[in-house]
Amino acid sequence: MSSAANTANTANSAANARTSSAEATAGSAARRAPRRRPGSLTHPSRTGLALVTPAVLFVVVFVFAPLVVAVYISLTDFPLIGDYDFVGFRNYSLAWSDRVFNEALFYTLLYTAIVTLPILVLGYTLAVVVRANRRGSTLLRTIFFLPYIVGLTTISFLTLLEAQPGSGAVNVVLETLGITDGTTAWLVDGPLATGLIIVMVIWAVSGLTMVLLMSGMQAIPREIYESAELDGAGWWRTERHITIPMLRRSIALSLVISVIGSLLAFTQFYILTQGGPGSETTTVVMAIYRRAFVDLQLGVSTAMSLILVLIIAVIAAVQFWLLREKD
Amino acid sequence: MELTRGRFLSLLGAGAAGVLLGGCAKSPPPVDVTAAGFGTEATGTVKLWCRSALQAANQLLVDRFHAAQDRIRVELTPVQDAQFVTKLATAIRGGRVPDIVDIDDINSALFINRGVFADLTPLIEALPFRDQLSPAHLALGEHDGRYYALPSVADNSALWCNLELLDRAGVDIDEATGSFDGYLDAARAVSGLGRDVHGWSFPGNGSGALGFTVQPHIWATDTDLITGEIGHQRGDIVGNDALRRTLGLLHTLWDEGLVPSDADADDASRWAANFHAGRIGMMPNGYGILVPQAPPGLLDHTEVRLLSGPDGGRSFFDGGTNFCLPNGSDNPSAAWEFALFCLDVEQQARLPESGYIPVRSDAATPEFRADYPLALPSLEDIGAGYAPLTLAYNRIYNQSDGPWLAMFRRAVFGGDIDGAMAQAQDHYDEILRQGDA
Repeated sequence: MSSAANTANTANSAANARTSSAEATAGSAARRAPRRRPGSLTHPSRTGLALVTPAVLFVVVFVFAPLVVAVYISLTDFPLIGDYDFVGFRNYSLAWSDRVFNEALFYTLLYTAIVTLPILVLGYTLAVVVRANRRGSTLLRTIFFLPYIVGLTTISFLTLLEAQPGSGAVNVVLETLGITDGTTAWLVDGPLATGLIIVMVIWAVSGLTMVLLMSGMQAIPREIYESAELDGAGWWRTERHITIPMLRRSIALSLVISVIGSLLAFTQFYILTQGGPGSETTTVVMAIYRRAFVDLQLGVSTAMSLILVLIIAVIAAVQFWLLREKD
Repeated sequence: MELTRGRFLSLLGAGAAGVLLGGCAKSPPPVDVTAAGFGTEATGTVKLWCRSALQAANQLLVDRFHAAQDRIRVELTPVQDAQFVTKLATAIRGGRVPDIVDIDDINSALFINRGVFADLTPLIEALPFRDQLSPAHLALGEHDGRYYALPSVADNSALWCNLELLDRAGVDIDEATGSFDGYLDAARAVSGLGRDVHGWSFPGNGSGALGFTVQPHIWATDTDLITGEIGHQRGDIVGNDALRRTLGLLHTLWDEGLVPSDADADDASRWAANFHAGRIGMMPNGYGILVPQAPPGLLDHTEVRLLSGPDGGRSFFDGGTNFCLPNGSDNPSAAWEFALFCLDVEQQARLPESGYIPVRSDAATPEFRADYPLALPSLEDIGAGYAPLTLAYNRIYNQSDGPWLAMFRRAVFGGDIDGAMAQAQDHYDEILRQGDA
């Protein structure tokens, strides 16, 4: 048997052992205990209700009620000022036929598709570098996580300065390396601006993925790695057959956070390109924002928002389904 | 009936929705400007909102008003320009309005068309200086023959000329600034003076700044890019000869290197730097941008002309602000008294100190002419000013993803003038249709 198969078996055995043990415990408990009414043996059911009521109220008032209001507004021609009438599903029809909204939706999906994998790969790589408690690990973790702490707003403003033709550091470096003549106007060209923003975002947010994956890596029992090492597995096989499978949930969480963040991208585009030139870098949230607060048409913009919510929900559900624990 | 969890949550949600929507539906009481004694001997506090860009100008007026009387106190609240419309709309919907707003004249129509400002017609018609007020400002405050806005401050575009450079290039300013041919010949001559000297300048990535300075070339031919009444507007792009020739002129200026090479990336943040450095022969711009930060001596050899059409004619962007009284105002009488104080010739004539231009043509007194010669051209020809009346101005002209900038860039930097105009026609129509919806 190859060492890869051995490594996989080691991981599977560990997982199976845990599962079997849990099932056996549950099974024997079920055999021993007589059937009883559901509910706590030590606390009256009212206690549970009282404990969850504040959280339920919070969700109802700050999530459920605004959502109901949003659905209502999306069925009216609600302006920011003035009277409104019920218009049925006309706003949804307008949203689907709106050129800017559709182009922005496509652009946002494309942007999300491009940045997601590099953020995961870079985040994973950084997590591998800093996961062990070696000398300097803490410093490296801080350095790698720092861009995320500084935030996209500040980083975007810095990039705005450093991307200026002639004077910005990006152009100075490229000119020094003999790649360009130093006058590239990065932010007034759709593809160039998108490329620059993608690089900036990958650098800025990979730190979060690193932290999420690193905590998952540190939770993997050391014995499994030792067993794999005894079986003769190398670094790559250990990563492939132990670390990655056992990080499935952390990877799923990182991907869901990353994808939702990308689908809701606004700050970096608003600061760096304001959606231009033309509408080449207009994201879907920016399109919705402009429809609401520049055109003052809350009815249509709310319909657009709800469409976006549905799209995000579907994408997140598909992600969870694809990355679910199969056993 | 048993109160189940589902019913409880439904009732809670419906209740919250009802409260929220009920709060949204309030309509403030209209201001009655015909009441006896309105605008005279008022007392109390006036809440004034102004654009943050005009904070200094408004603060000066408030200070002088306080010095002139002690019955009324004005509380000035500056609101960021980009957020003014949203904040005011939210305040109106929430029923907590200021007593008076000094609002961008371009945005006046957004509120006037929704009936939230007081009808000022009897007050404005009774003003002794009614005929000296800026017609373009008044037009933006008019709806169905009634006036809802009083002009307060002007921020006009014009062509700024460096006489020293023009003289060195052998260019006569009057011949150079009367037509596109004159512009082009002069720009070529000035650009020939040296590698760092250019005949013309524009901020090629500044949508709002380009709207401020390029449109007057088209208006000078009595043509606009938007046609029709609000509610039935569409773009007048394809077939617009003045627009085609304007884009053609700007493309030639770019193509022949008669503007700085970084003009395509300038979002107007570095707009005036080259002119201040004495390296630009002619540049469309505004008084408030060029004059306050001009280096010593530059203005001594600077002259201003209105912007020309392709074969003549003159126009300028009549921007600035209007005073409006939101319905529901607590102290409209005192607010109007403050507005009238700001419209005094004495106050108007001092506006250039803050970088702005009067809205009364009779403010051009001999003293004013002597003190502020560069603020005179638009005041002397106040009827040549214009600004489009539309609910979609911001969406079309002030947003970087609007059709105006897209058309400009494709035509001027890409050279595809016909393609740019055809695309813009569709986008103008689409936005105007949405804006009117």
